[in-house]
Amino acid sequence: MTPLKIALAKGRLLNPSIQLLESLGYDVRSAKDSRRLVIDDVARGARFLIAKPMDVPIYVEYGAADVGIVGQDALREGGVQVYEPLVLDYGHCRLVVAGKPEFRGAEWKMLAGLRVATKYPRVAKKYFDARGLSVETIEVYGSVELAPAVGLADLIVDVVDTGRTLRENGLVELDEIFKSQAALIVNRAAHTLRVNEIRALIEKIDGTRMNADKG
Amino acid sequence: MISQPLDKQLPHGVADLFFNDAARKRALERTVAETFARWGYSEIIPPMFEYYESLAAEAGPQLREEMYRFFDRDGRTLALRADLTIPIARIVGTKLFDRAMPLRFFYVGSVFRYEEPQAGVRREFTQAGIELIGAATADADAEALALAMTALRAMGLDDFRFTLGNAAYLQATMRGLALDDADALALREAIRRKNTPELTRLLDAFDLDPARRRALAQLPALWGGAEVLDRAECVNDDARAAIERLRQVLARLVHFDLQAFVTLDLAENRGMEYYTGILFEGFVQGIGFAVVSGGRYDKLIAHFGADLPAVGFAIGIERIMMAHQARASIAPDVIAQEYGAPVAAARANGRIVEVDVLNRADAALREYARIRGAREIWWRDGRVEALL
Repeated sequence: MTPLKIALAKGRLLNPSIQLLESLGYDVRSAKDSRRLVIDDVARGARFLIAKPMDVPIYVEYGAADVGIVGQDALREGGVQVYEPLVLDYGHCRLVVAGKPEFRGAEWKMLAGLRVATKYPRVAKKYFDARGLSVETIEVYGSVELAPAVGLADLIVDVVDTGRTLRENGLVELDEIFKSQAALIVNRAAHTLRVNEIRALIEKIDGTRMNADKG
Repeated sequence: MISQPLDKQLPHGVADLFFNDAARKRALERTVAETFARWGYSEIIPPMFEYYESLAAEAGPQLREEMYRFFDRDGRTLALRADLTIPIARIVGTKLFDRAMPLRFFYVGSVFRYEEPQAGVRREFTQAGIELIGAATADADAEALALAMTALRAMGLDDFRFTLGNAAYLQATMRGLALDDADALALREAIRRKNTPELTRLLDAFDLDPARRRALAQLPALWGGAEVLDRAECVNDDARAAIERLRQVLARLVHFDLQAFVTLDLAENRGMEYYTGILFEGFVQGIGFAVVSGGRYDKLIAHFGADLPAVGFAIGIERIMMAHQARASIAPDVIAQEYGAPVAAARANGRIVEVDVLNRADAALREYARIRGAREIWWRDGRVEALL
C-alpha cells in the first residue's frame, strides 16, 4: 500500500503542525531536523513532505501529496483546485494592504498607476481588480515592508501578525484583505481514491480540535 | 532583451508526438473507439473551428474565456472548438432532431483551450467521449457512467474510482434564495471546496429558513457510500427527485457490477450553468486530477432548436497516457548509500530502494542516481537529498 502523503508547510506553521500530528500518534520526530524533506512513518503508513508554504497547495493540487497543512494565505495565492475541509486553530495572521501614513483614508483608492510590492501577486491583483484599480504589481521574495521606504512601491500587500514590522518601517495598515489561519487541504483524486483514510484523518483532527475547545 | 527567433520553437501547451508516444496515443484512441462502438455508439466528427457564437452559446464564462478566437476575411469571429459537446449539440439541434431517439455518438479529437499549462493540462489536448441524446432516464445516466468505467478498463486502468453527484440537488436546494450572483457563487464555491468554516460564515450572513440552512450546511459532509443519500435533507420535491435519481443510478450500476467504484459527492457543483442532472468524475491511482468528466445537460440542445435531454462524458487521453507512464516507472524511489533499518522500512512500505554496492564517491553516486531516475538519495549520515 502506498503511504498517505501529507505535505507540511515549513516556517512558522511547521512546529504546531508537528505537534498536531504527534497528538494524533504520528511519528514525525525527524521533521525537526531541518534538512530532512521527506519523513516516513512506516508503521502508520504515512509519508510527510516538508515544503515551502507556497508550494504546498501545488503539491496537493497535482497529487504529489494527498493532503496538506498550509496557511490560507498561501492557499488563496495558489488559486488551486483542492478541498479545504478544516481550518486549524493556529497560524493566525491577516493579509493587509499597507503603505505610508499619508495614504491613510480613502485617497489612495483615487490614485492611478500605483505600484504594489508583494509576495502575493495573485491575491493583490484580485483585490485591486475588484476595486477597478489598475496597479503595477511587483513581486518580491522577501522584506516586502522595505519597498515603500526605498521607493520601489507605493503600497504593499503582506501578512501581518502583530503589526510591529509595519510600524518599524513607518507603514500603516490601510485595509484588511482577509484573515488567515492554518488549513487542511485535500487532493480531489485522493479524496475519492483513498476515501476511508482521508475521512479517518479529517475526523481525527476534528476530534482533537473539539477536545481542545472543551479543555 | 533580444527575443529568440521562434521558427524552431513551439508555443506553450502543444507537443510533438513521435515514436512510442505517437503509437501509444493512437492505440489508446483505437481501443476507446472500439469500446464505444461495441456499446452502439457511432462516430461523429465536428469541424475543428466554427462561429464563435455557436461555440460560446451555452459555454460557461470560464470556457468562453479560454476559447481561441480569430476572424475570417469578412470580420466574423471564429473559434477553435474547446470541447465537442457543444458542436455535437449544434449538429443534433439543427440537423438530427427528427431522427429515432436516442442518438448515440462518440468522438475522439483535439480540443483547444487557452489556459495556463499544468501537468496534463495543455492548450491542445485530445478528448474521447460519448453523448447519449434523447433519453432523460436513469438507465441512460447509468449507461454513460458504466461506459466511462468500461472504457478506462479497456485502456488498462483498473484502479479507478468515480465521484457521482447530482447538480439538480443543489439547484433545487438553492431555488428561490434571495442572493445576488456574487453571493450565490461564493456559496457554491464554499460547498464545492467542502470549506465548512467559510460555508458557515456565509450561511450566518444570509439569514435562511432553518430547513434550507441545514440542507446547505451539511453538504460538505455528504460524501461517501449510499448512506449519504439517506442523510441528505430535501427542502422540496425537486431535491427529493434528485436524490431518488442517484439511488436509481446506483441500483442500475449493480447490473454492471460497478457500484463499488462510486463515491457519492453531493457537494460537487462544477459547471452549474451547464449540468442539469447527474455529474461525475473519474480518478485513477497516481494522477492527482480527474481523467474523466461528465454529466447530464438537458438544456443545451434546446439552445440549437430542439428540446432534447442528453448525458455524456469526455476522457482526457493525455491524462490517460500520464497514468500509464506513472505505472510504467521502474526507476527506484531511493538510492541509499548503505543498508540499514530505514532501507528495510521503506521497502516494507512499498518503495523501490536500491543500495549502492560499489562504494561510489558522493559525486559519482549522485550522477548514478540521476541517470537511474531516482527521486532521492539517502546518504550515510542520514541526510535525504531530493532529486528533480
